[in-house]
Amino acid sequence: MEAALEQKYNFDVVRWFAIMAVVYLVVGAAVGVYIASELAWPVLNFDIPYITFGRLRPLHTNAVIFAFGGCTLMASAYYSVQRTCATRLWSDKLAWFTFWGWNLVIVGAVITLPLGLTESKEYAELEWPLDILIAVVWLAYMFNFLMTIANRKTSHIYVSNWFFLGMMVMITYLHVVNSLAIPVGLFKSYSIFSGVQDAMIQWWWGHNAVGFFLTAGFLGIMYYFVPKQANRPVYSYRLSVIHFWALMFGYVWLGAHHLQYTALPDWTGSLGAAVSLAMIIPSWGGAVNGMMTLSGAWDKLRTDYVLRFLIISLAFYAMSTFEGPVMSIKTVNALSHYTDWTIGHVHSGALGWVAGVSFGALYHMVSRTFHTELWSTKLVNAHFWTMTIGTVIYIVAMWVSGIMQGLMWRAYDEYGTLAYTFAESVEAMHPYYAMRAVGGAIFLLGGILMLFNILMTVRKAAVEGTLAKARTAVATA
Amino acid sequence: MSDLKAHFHTDWAAMTLNDWIGTILTVVVALLLVVAYVYVFRPKNREKLESRRFIPMEEDKIETGEKDGGK
Repeated sequence: MEAALEQKYNFDVVRWFAIMAVVYLVVGAAVGVYIASELAWPVLNFDIPYITFGRLRPLHTNAVIFAFGGCTLMASAYYSVQRTCATRLWSDKLAWFTFWGWNLVIVGAVITLPLGLTESKEYAELEWPLDILIAVVWLAYMFNFLMTIANRKTSHIYVSNWFFLGMMVMITYLHVVNSLAIPVGLFKSYSIFSGVQDAMIQWWWGHNAVGFFLTAGFLGIMYYFVPKQANRPVYSYRLSVIHFWALMFGYVWLGAHHLQYTALPDWTGSLGAAVSLAMIIPSWGGAVNGMMTLSGAWDKLRTDYVLRFLIISLAFYAMSTFEGPVMSIKTVNALSHYTDWTIGHVHSGALGWVAGVSFGALYHMVSRTFHTELWSTKLVNAHFWTMTIGTVIYIVAMWVSGIMQGLMWRAYDEYGTLAYTFAESVEAMHPYYAMRAVGGAIFLLGGILMLFNILMTVRKAAVEGTLAKARTAVATA
Repeated sequence: MSDLKAHFHTDWAAMTLNDWIGTILTVVVALLLVVAYVYVFRPKNREKLESRRFIPMEEDKIETGEKDGGK
């Protein structure tokens, strides 16, 4: 069976994307810990412009979202589309083009961002030549995925593929429109949008990078890998269909809630908040659908450490998809906006949900595509706890810090004068910034354990010859 | 005019082409979403839709030609 799978499908590109995802996880998280430490102890800037917070922060976000997240999405989409469609990827060459092209984008980001070459658009900092490369590689990825579905040997397209495809279509549209710019040099361009329109387009992209790249794509992962790892069918297929269409329809409206109390028309922010609240329903429907897949088999969580990642990630998904809509309500937003609460919210989604479901999927894929058990399940368990504890420390620090910031900024004395200076609020943040750096470091430690475990699994497969055997043995199903 | 009426008052004459395109698209998509809800939760479609749940479980059978996923 192993030989049949290995020879029928293109697992090579999946293996490489999976390994590179873990490498980028460590790099991206390490940069994150460093910049978190810079905020707590600014001396770490060392007066070197290339490593200041402003230069490294976009490097961190690009590394964790697009390098780690992107490689995970490409590995898992290429893996699951082949398995659920019972056919090989339409084009091996195109698959390798996406691998090298995506890595070239990442190398470009690593070089240009510390040099300060940026479009200054959040989560879309890269300059126009790299934007064009991203669009070309992304279209190649989508075309290969679509053609694989078109060549499927099954009659129905499984729901995980719908989520992946929804992400691919929407990210193409969002990336191209948000990146429209007029180049004035090889590394300098100006957005074609200006003023409040620029802000609206920016957050239409920004929130949908979360909604489609970091949610729809990873829900595709959830709908395939939770049932596979639990060896149980998803709780309700009908719920998954509604989850998909409600998510696709709803998410595009939310961006305006990032711009409450700005020059954007008031009704736009209210509409964004209203649809955000409505989105709790499909989001929780999806989270419940994933968790209830284990209904009647919860005991598996005692022994299956990989499954733990997948299930805890759904708990974080439910939590952050409740917290986000609450924060979008104007009354709450008046307190939370521009504070660290937002950073805490983003990281409960990013570390808990996105990274958690990715870890589960990556461990699953590495084991299946190298045709061997993971080198150490104890290390997987250690990774699970470091991830969970690190994430909780991080988000609690940011919740406390953020709410304190918001309260300090709007406190008035009896004469109507601000009770605190901005500098006083910064000083009050210090213990929480240190706590955040510690939480991040614990999370990073888990990432290093994962990388070590994955590399040792690759070595184990080489020593045992499982991969070589699967490649050369006579395929018998 | 009550507050509610004032709140929902619309100056239809001031609607631009872009406003109309956006409004019509939004209403059509919202109606399609209603159609999706009705289709999915109609008892008649339950068995057909829920049979798709097993696709990831039956990959091996699909790969060996024993079963066509989704049928």
